[in-house]
Amino acid sequence: MPTPLRYQDTGEVHLDFHRTTNGTIAYLRQKHGAEFLDDVFRHTAQDVYRSIWDDLKQGDPEQLVTHWTYFTEREKGVYKIEREGNEIRFIVLQCPATTYLRNRGIVVDPEFRRQTITMNQAWSEGTPFEISTKITGEDAYIQTIRRVKL
Amino acid sequence: MIPSDHFVRFYNEVFKSLDRKGRVHLVDYWHELGRLQVTELGDRFKTGGLEAAYEYWQRIFLEENCEGEVKLNDDVLELRMHKCPSLSKAMDNDAGAHGLYCDHCMAWVEPVMAHAGLHAVFDMESRTEPHCVMRVTLNKKKAEEFAKHAKLLATPYIPASLPPR
Repeated sequence: MPTPLRYQDTGEVHLDFHRTTNGTIAYLRQKHGAEFLDDVFRHTAQDVYRSIWDDLKQGDPEQLVTHWTYFTEREKGVYKIEREGNEIRFIVLQCPATTYLRNRGIVVDPEFRRQTITMNQAWSEGTPFEISTKITGEDAYIQTIRRVKL
Repeated sequence: MIPSDHFVRFYNEVFKSLDRKGRVHLVDYWHELGRLQVTELGDRFKTGGLEAAYEYWQRIFLEENCEGEVKLNDDVLELRMHKCPSLSKAMDNDAGAHGLYCDHCMAWVEPVMAHAGLHAVFDMESRTEPHCVMRVTLNKKKAEEFAKHAKLLATPYIPASLPPR
């Protein structure tokens, strides 16, 4: 039985919001600095996705894995999941966000990935997990959930 | 990756963080949204007029799963939103909606329309219920008349019209 999601959108997907995210990141980075940008991502991870964070604090990473899976599939991204020992690796082979931007000729902001990196760090806080992000290509990255405490 | 479906909730956090830093920073960001949207839509609306705006919002209503109507009658484009997906998402949110969430809409629409030589009047009706009416016209006098009858007129660039944080 799949883990229920707090937010589970259906219907049309408006991918152009990735353009607005890209523009917003560029603006905040230039005007307010990286620390401010990270603070917004921390609030997004811990307040908007409170349900995911609460589950992680309880030692359950499955809502996060389901969240990644559901929305990557919904946006037609390419991914695979590997589970081994105390690790779950969500391997993104074709990120729908950067692919959309590049296909439209939009320059991807150098800090565009910060949304993923910082939110994963924020989700780790106060939980038994380390959640890391490794960039492996223009449109590829690996998110690893590693249990570090029982 | 923040899913495109969840951009609205991220955006809402951006509004809150900027407003906490100072209202001027929020308004500066609205100006930036306007600048970005002028780049995207300004010339299209300037060349294509109300027809181009009508086509744009017809597509947006579909893509963003809006519940409402887009009508073009003679010289007035009317968008009547019965259930705005944007405010609905900002409200259906464990972090809660920013108090000026609705105002950002006119904050980008106004500069786009100014660039295109059109006049938009946005009646938010309420900042806590996801319904509103926007009318766009070439006729300035008609726009002024619409504004007189608005329940809650959006004027994001008039600081005194905004409630305090």
